[in-house]
Amino acid sequence: MASLTKKKSDKPSLLYTAGESFLHRANPLTSLCLLLWMLSAAIVLPTEGTATLTLAAIAVALVTGVGKKALKRLLITMVPIGIALTVVHGLLIDRQDFAALGPVQISASGLDYGLRVFMRVACMLMATLLFVTTTHPADMLKALDQRGVPAGIGYLIASPLLLIEPFTERARGIRDAQRVRGLNLTGSWKARAAALPVLLVPLITLALSDLDHRASVLSGRAFRAKPHRTVINAPPDSTLQIWVRRLLLLLAVLQLGLPLLWRL
Amino acid sequence: MLAVENVTFAYVEGSPVLSGIDFSASKGEVVAIVGRNGAGKSTLLRLLNGLYQPAEGRVVVDGLSTSDTPVHELAQHIGTVFQAPEQQIFNATIRGEIAFGPKQQGLSGEALDKRIAEVLQRIGLPDSGDEHPLDIDASARRLVAVGSVLAMQPPILLLDEPQRGLDKAAMQRLETIIAEEKARGTLVLLVCHDMDFVARRADRVLALARGVLSADKLTAEFFTDTALTEAAGVETPDVLSLSLDLGLPPCLTPTAFTQAYMTRRVGGT
Amino acid sequence: MAPLIEVHDLRFRYPLAKAPILDGLSLVIGEGERVAILAPNAAGKTTLARWLAGHLPDGALKAESGFVAMEGRNWSEWDVAERAAAIQFVGQVPSQQLSGCAFTVYEEIAFGPCNLALPEAEVRRRVDEAMVVCNLAHLANRDPFTLSGGEQQRLSIAAALAMHPRVLVLDEPTSNLDPESRDDLIAQIDKLPGGLTIIVLEVALRPSLALANRFLLLDGGRIVADGTAGEVLNDPRCIEALGMTSIAAAMAGLRDAGAWPGDKALPLTLAEARASLGVQHARG
Repeated sequence: MASLTKKKSDKPSLLYTAGESFLHRANPLTSLCLLLWMLSAAIVLPTEGTATLTLAAIAVALVTGVGKKALKRLLITMVPIGIALTVVHGLLIDRQDFAALGPVQISASGLDYGLRVFMRVACMLMATLLFVTTTHPADMLKALDQRGVPAGIGYLIASPLLLIEPFTERARGIRDAQRVRGLNLTGSWKARAAALPVLLVPLITLALSDLDHRASVLSGRAFRAKPHRTVINAPPDSTLQIWVRRLLLLLAVLQLGLPLLWRL
Repeated sequence: MLAVENVTFAYVEGSPVLSGIDFSASKGEVVAIVGRNGAGKSTLLRLLNGLYQPAEGRVVVDGLSTSDTPVHELAQHIGTVFQAPEQQIFNATIRGEIAFGPKQQGLSGEALDKRIAEVLQRIGLPDSGDEHPLDIDASARRLVAVGSVLAMQPPILLLDEPQRGLDKAAMQRLETIIAEEKARGTLVLLVCHDMDFVARRADRVLALARGVLSADKLTAEFFTDTALTEAAGVETPDVLSLSLDLGLPPCLTPTAFTQAYMTRRVGGT
Repeated sequence: MAPLIEVHDLRFRYPLAKAPILDGLSLVIGEGERVAILAPNAAGKTTLARWLAGHLPDGALKAESGFVAMEGRNWSEWDVAERAAAIQFVGQVPSQQLSGCAFTVYEEIAFGPCNLALPEAEVRRRVDEAMVVCNLAHLANRDPFTLSGGEQQRLSIAAALAMHPRVLVLDEPTSNLDPESRDDLIAQIDKLPGGLTIIVLEVALRPSLALANRFLLLDGGRIVADGTAGEVLNDPRCIEALGMTSIAAAMAGLRDAGAWPGDKALPLTLAEARASLGVQHARG
């Protein structure tokens, strides 16, 4: 039974990919500190630095077996951002170094600025992807519980992830119920916009009634009744990891703080 | 009126939820669809109203193939009441809820008012037209959902567990509606777990077991064949069991039982 | 039997409602009783269930008069953890009984005991036990929200049982189940420890006959009948509100035709009818 219960549920709405890599085995709080350090680094590093960090994160993703899922999301998000940044900063915003390139005016400093923003966003996104693909939210909750973080905060993290599927399911149910009553959702944009309230009103009414129900279900099951909850299958932790976390947090703070001090 | 021709359907390719479903039904019939949870009843319902398309075979509703007709047009020919009426209620008044379908059909003015008044009467809420549909109790809300479909006067009615949670008065109203619809030539299909209800109201039973049609029989024939009821995971209605225990002909309703019992007594056996 | 729950002259009206939904209702339930509260639609069945389970009063939703007490103490004096360990309520819509905090069936059942800060070994013992009773072991790692309605219903009962309550309140527990799963659940409820008090609220007569040995009829905001199945289901007010079981209706037909003594109680179930008509089960 014990081995059975340690298996994690696979939810299609989660980006989490099961695995045995060092990141999968790391305490979720350690992964979280790593994420925070990378985010802070992405803010302060120059373009070369963010590019290196992004490449390193991609390499780690590939090693830990989450590369495919993470890269897919990275590309889907970054390609349109890259195009937009190039157009806006390279071509549209009037700069002093505007040079003619065929029919358009292009700015090298604009492109440079665009690239810096692009790499910074890519770095932050890749860091986040690395975190969510290797950390199961259930483990994150348990790690927070174990640290005595109020259960309400855990609930705020878990419930959107858990409720997105039933919510989508219900939206589909409502759409179907209205279509079989003759609602035309294939017509013009105007007709579709007019149909919106017909779909949204039941969705909202039901969501509100759910909130009410859930509140009484939670108190019925003693949620937040005691200062601490029991944590079962708690993710393992170690002294080494505790020190790694302290180091990462210290670095993150220093990285952000030092440049400020420097300027003073 | 309704023809389902050798229909197969799968959510995931290679593992069909329904296969080789073949039946037809005509005007004025009341047909019950029974089977275990997960046997494919809800899927079949969605194939009938066009929400799903068969992978193989075809479904013809009132002369229209569901593959060639948009769902909202099929809605004029086949009305569906799903299990959770809350999912379709969006108007601030019961009257508005019932008017929605007929308005989509282009009905207005006096004709619309007349239609609404008639439906409110039939569902037993003649004076509640201005109330909010969520302020009434769940069973009345189910009847509002039935009413909102009745208002479109479709020649085929699909009802998914319409009897659930109804008390005596609401149940009688529902049964009267089904009887009236049958009398005016509507084809009524019921998905239903309550076998007493099926025995009282259905002319014919379609049983689904593991995605295939395990029985297509007249109601009395279905319930007297234990092999069929067991395959579908349903029980024999109590009154029918008792009538067979007593050596009477199979009786589907208490009234039929009393008659059969008294006939035999008078006959002196 | 020692009184466990006492409802005393409870009068309750929802805000904006014209009339009170519970109107001077009084009721005493003893430890270990199996009670079915039968009620027609709109009679306040779910509202009464929520009062019994201590979910009401809640904020602005207060009694106009009266109270509900468990072991002699008004529910409002109980703290959340104490109450959760004493009584569990499972509502009608299975998906609405889930915590929304658990990624697996196992965690959903463990959710309540973990909130009570029980030792880990005790939590595991309770979860395993509840999974056996409700036949869920094979679903331990499934996402609760992807289960069928019937499975979710079993899960919500398992989650309630894992709290080791002294009272279990079930609102229409079998309404989402097909006949086989319904019979399974009834058999499982039947096997629950004898000391557990079970209160079932139902509109359907047949399933409640299998779940209870004391019957109450709630109508017009009060308990209007209280007794055995024979007493309550044959009460004209119950027949008026909820009708009769199909067997009782058939036997009433015989009585009206003079083929059954008018002063003898009508059989309610197939088994009772077979016994009183002296017939054997015709089919194996």
